[in-house]
Amino acid sequence: MNCATVREGLAEHALGALLARDAATVDRHLAWCAACRKEAGELARASATLAFALAPEEPPADLGDRVLEVVQDAVARRDRRPQSSPRRSRLIAIASLAALLAVLGAGWGAVMAGRAARSDRVARLEQIRSESAVERFRDLLNSAEFGNPENEAFLGTLEPTTPGGGSGSALVLVSPSIVDLALVLVDGMPPQMRAVLPLAVRIRSDDGVLMVGRITKDEFDDSGAGIVMQEFADLDGFDTVIVRDVNGDVVMTGSLETRAALATPSP
Amino acid sequence: MEGLLAGNDEAVRALYARYGRLIYSLGYRLLGTREAAEELTQDVFLTAWRKAARFDPTRGRLSTWLMTIGHNLAVDRLRRETGVSRPTLVLVDEVPDAPGLDEEAVLIERDAAVRALSSLTDAERRLVARSYFRGMTAREIAETDGIPLGTVKTRLRSAMIKVRKANEGKGLV
Repeated sequence: MNCATVREGLAEHALGALLARDAATVDRHLAWCAACRKEAGELARASATLAFALAPEEPPADLGDRVLEVVQDAVARRDRRPQSSPRRSRLIAIASLAALLAVLGAGWGAVMAGRAARSDRVARLEQIRSESAVERFRDLLNSAEFGNPENEAFLGTLEPTTPGGGSGSALVLVSPSIVDLALVLVDGMPPQMRAVLPLAVRIRSDDGVLMVGRITKDEFDDSGAGIVMQEFADLDGFDTVIVRDVNGDVVMTGSLETRAALATPSP
Repeated sequence: MEGLLAGNDEAVRALYARYGRLIYSLGYRLLGTREAAEELTQDVFLTAWRKAARFDPTRGRLSTWLMTIGHNLAVDRLRRETGVSRPTLVLVDEVPDAPGLDEEAVLIERDAAVRALSSLTDAERRLVARSYFRGMTAREIAETDGIPLGTVKTRLRSAMIKVRKANEGKGLV
């Protein structure tokens, strides 16, 4: 998709009036095209103004107290968490990444086994592609640039919108010196949910939405697991993962709230 | 914002005092019930607390940032709850007088919104309302109205160009 085509759809994009797959195509373009991103930002700010056109309505007198309670509860939950030292934070982050990689390996292995029966050649190509993605991820973890103290990892779990609708994990790496990465694993999807594949996995910030990828029927193994991973120029501020089915309905969401610096602390 | 980030009671109260009515109105007008509007208001302030460190005043007003959070949360809910009847949309220029106090920044934004909407034809205004306030995609609008998708797209584009132009040079877009 070129800039002219993208710009034709930016107004709808700002209003949220694009089909999910078209919005994803625009998001992918915006991830690397600064000129179109500027145009999209201006239209998004223009559309945000529209919300002020709604007629005012007086809230109940005690709503302010309830808002305060909700925030106080969240602050208290945060403060109750054990305070981690920088080194412990790093160890937790690395352990989480390692666990996620282990799950990825297992997930892809199962997928590959299923595919082998269908087509050795296709399975082999997919295996190479998947292994390549894992390798790139491992290379990144082992790279010198990864030691940048400004690198951050955000981890989160995905919850289904309906009970028994599977679950998932998400990881976002934000770095000022190397590419940013979003990686989402969906698993435990019940067999009946195969009918609503492919799943569109997006990540959202206050400024917009980016497409991480689609999980198609071919990418699901027998246990209902699938993975998407994508590199982006900048994922700072992207903190919500949304998984929609083929009908555009949200089937899973999650917040990337666990934040950890990944660099080794100075002695 | 530092106070909000720390979860300071006074900061939360002050923020609610300035923007609570605005957010509640958004929830009430879009979702249609007081219960849904109250839930949305609480969710918006909780999200604002979580994201306070990422608010950048050089990129926009605090009121706009909060309304964007509110709009995103409301549209998510609208799309999740398909089949639920929604209220008739009531815009600020359709009510004789808006009681209650709002801060100046909100009034400026409200004027800008009215200016933007009044720059649209009736057809464009209805179209924008259905996509932005109802969360309908261009395809859904085209199918509902029985008109070509291309026509809806062209009208939406034309409308948004007008919305942007209506406030160009006023520091709002």
